[in-house]
Amino acid sequence: MPGSSGSPVLEARGLTVSLRGAQVLRDLSFAVKPGEVLGLVGESGAGKSMIGRVIGRTLPQGFAVTGGSLLFGGRDLVGLEAEPLRALLGDRIAFIPQEPLTALNPVLTIGQQFGEHLERLRVPRGLRRDRIVSALTDVRLRDPAALLELYPFQLSGGMCQRVMIAMAFASEPALIVADEPTTALDVSTQAHIVQIIRGMQRDHRTSLLFITHDLRLASRVCDDILVLYAGDIVEQGPAREVSERPRHPYTRALQASNPPLGGTRRRLATLPDQMPGIAGFASLPGCRFASRCPIRDGACASAVPPLMEVGPRHRVRCTQGCLSDDRGLVPGEPLVAVPLDGRDPVLRVEDVWKHYAGKRDWLGRRHPGVDAVKGATVSVAPGEFVGIVGESGSGKSTLARLVMGLEDATSGRIMVDGVDVTANAGEARRIRLGALQMVFQDPQSALNPRRPVERLVTQVMEAADGAGDAERLARAKALMRETGLPVDLLDRYPSQLSGGQKQRVNIARALCVTPRLLVADEIVSGLDVSVQAQILNLLLDLRQTRGIGLLFISHDLAVVRYLCSRVLVMRNGEVVEEGATEAVLGDPRHPYTRSLVAAVPPEDMDVPWPPLAAAESV
Amino acid sequence: MSPRARATLQRCLRDPRVIGGGLLALLVAGLALFAPWLAPHDPQEQDLLSTLLPPMWAAGGEAAYPLGTDTLGRCILSRLLHGARIALYVGVVAATGAMLLGTVLALVAGYFGGWIDWAIGRLVDVWMAFPPVILALILLVGMGAGVNKVILAIVLIDWTRFCRVIRSEVLVVRRRDYVAAARLAGFTHVQTIVKEVLPAVTPLVITLFSLEMGIAVIVEAIMSFVGLSVEPDVAAWGVMIADARTTMNQAPWGVIAPVLAIFATVLAFNLLGDGLRRALDARLVTSRGEA
Repeated sequence: MPGSSGSPVLEARGLTVSLRGAQVLRDLSFAVKPGEVLGLVGESGAGKSMIGRVIGRTLPQGFAVTGGSLLFGGRDLVGLEAEPLRALLGDRIAFIPQEPLTALNPVLTIGQQFGEHLERLRVPRGLRRDRIVSALTDVRLRDPAALLELYPFQLSGGMCQRVMIAMAFASEPALIVADEPTTALDVSTQAHIVQIIRGMQRDHRTSLLFITHDLRLASRVCDDILVLYAGDIVEQGPAREVSERPRHPYTRALQASNPPLGGTRRRLATLPDQMPGIAGFASLPGCRFASRCPIRDGACASAVPPLMEVGPRHRVRCTQGCLSDDRGLVPGEPLVAVPLDGRDPVLRVEDVWKHYAGKRDWLGRRHPGVDAVKGATVSVAPGEFVGIVGESGSGKSTLARLVMGLEDATSGRIMVDGVDVTANAGEARRIRLGALQMVFQDPQSALNPRRPVERLVTQVMEAADGAGDAERLARAKALMRETGLPVDLLDRYPSQLSGGQKQRVNIARALCVTPRLLVADEIVSGLDVSVQAQILNLLLDLRQTRGIGLLFISHDLAVVRYLCSRVLVMRNGEVVEEGATEAVLGDPRHPYTRSLVAAVPPEDMDVPWPPLAAAESV
Repeated sequence: MSPRARATLQRCLRDPRVIGGGLLALLVAGLALFAPWLAPHDPQEQDLLSTLLPPMWAAGGEAAYPLGTDTLGRCILSRLLHGARIALYVGVVAATGAMLLGTVLALVAGYFGGWIDWAIGRLVDVWMAFPPVILALILLVGMGAGVNKVILAIVLIDWTRFCRVIRSEVLVVRRRDYVAAARLAGFTHVQTIVKEVLPAVTPLVITLFSLEMGIAVIVEAIMSFVGLSVEPDVAAWGVMIADARTTMNQAPWGVIAPVLAIFATVLAFNLLGDGLRRALDARLVTSRGEA
């Protein structure tokens, strides 16, 4: 029962974590009551993972708790000796990790690892097997007895996460810290995992600290929410109150930059820049949000505003009068559908198959291979934004690589402006690379760390060998302006850029040849919501200024709806549904599309989510 | 000099390993280069009246022979200095050869994959299955003794060391999206390998190169110890150890001096290699305070 009496399980009192004098977490106070779920919401670098690290004593080098206390059942975890703390961890306090696959030991079977955990909890050897089977049944894993003999890599990410959840609950802990437990998983898996965590937590009356970047998800999972920005609590209160009546301009911006799955498509309101890195915290003496705040005044930058009560248990760190009215909440203008003239498609993919041959064994017998793409047909008109949605393993990334010629199709044809470029050599390659360019998923991997930005964005000119240095510099500057990057970044290396800047560089590079169609593979999935909104708006602007088309591959239906007028749904290499975005998402025909749509938490808090049906299927 | 190159240089010069190893390597190289002028005696000059002299600071030592003399009354310091020339010549040339052969095959195998990778991989496997010392002896017996034959033998044996390690690094780099992006920027395969893949493995190549120089110095010492390298009348560290071996109990400095020379040289190359690898790797350059 939220708000029920009883002393808190975990309580922070003025907790402060510093790095070389700069306060990374500033004066943090909160309480988690027995059986309650507290959500810590913030973008990467906001300090939300620091709490878990303070509990586990795994703060990165240089970071230290410099003030306040973190009480667990009345005992201060900060000052506790190593041995009693070790006794608490894994027993009274358990963790659910972000990446279940890396958290499980790859060379031990599930049974062995779970057994080790129970051994630590002093469960007698003879009882362990039954305990494991019943724990795995609780997280709705089918045939748990068979799972015991399997290794983590033989399980899907969702199954591994269920094993981790079962292990976390095995000791009946008082507190579970779940740090982004669903971020690495597919959307529909996310719904199952949330359902299971929530159900287990209710049954066992366990307190849960739920750390996430996703405000919409947190409002569904948590009883209370605490929004962090640059190490400060900016807003805290009951989940429903915070998500339906957000008062702090940052919380409002977080909500506004998350595209909805229904209603009018409006241009997303975005904040300028992005959250400063830890090194910049020390130079923000007052309200740390002031530099990005749409309603700041002179006083904001000089004094830290106090947390002020604005409703029952609802507190906001802001001194502005905005707290009661809607100032700073300017809805974007509605997006108008761009009419497509009947010109021939830029890209036409006709019945393309991709077969990966199986490995030969030592006798030369070939194992059966897989068909990653089974007869996909796609066409994109000039200036058209087409989305491809599907979960990991659905073949959507392979399709992108086939389109770009990074893989050769087993059969089928790929046409650019009516010219068959399937051959991918000589003239065909030249035509293809002149018209199509790709923006890669992970800017970390897509940008050569040894090239400065200038030589990254103009890499195409290097291949041609004709361009001089001055010409290159001028082109680089133009591309930087077009993608909203400051020109003084030109001689920086990728490791010196933020995530959003890297993705802009990634886009700038693809624009260098003035392509007519961009192929973008999950380009916003690794970004924070506020930066994601900036990148999405940039893509819309590029359609305005350049008339560029887009083949947008994503697992995020809301983002696809925001950008694309047409959508294809892929599953196991096949296109299972296709049509105008509003029609497909509004009235999905294929059961798979329906399950994808159902997995997205709806805006309206009165609609129950996750849907019960979602949790039953595996 | 571009700001980038300057920053890289500064990073190199800030690393104590680079400074220490570099200075030591420079010292050895300088001594080797100027040996004819630095050495107090001709390395072959015999003084049969003063054999097995101890170093000058020990009782009975003479200032004319700072590190003493061997059984034939030859100046140990002079032979050490001239021996450094052989050691460095073999070290640099053999390591360069092994590096070129190994790296090119590794790039081809790792980048293109498929049957080429298979063929090169099996070749390396078979090659590495021979015990290296036996292989060296077979090669040298077949080709005849001589310092250039030693170099050839080292190249033919140790390219696999480069090939195997660098290939696995190339495989990692090959999967990075920026290699695919370079292809989409219109780069040819050769351009992609040279401009995107090779720079990524260069720190590793440099490290291996330094280590290989150290190994080559040791192999040359072994080969000249068993008389398969230089002519017996040429001063080389291995020859010095072989000559002094019989009188090791009466005159230990005859063995100690060349052993220390080998030790210092190999240490210099290893320190330098490790320091450079860290300083050259742009991935380790991050903006301050980002966590």
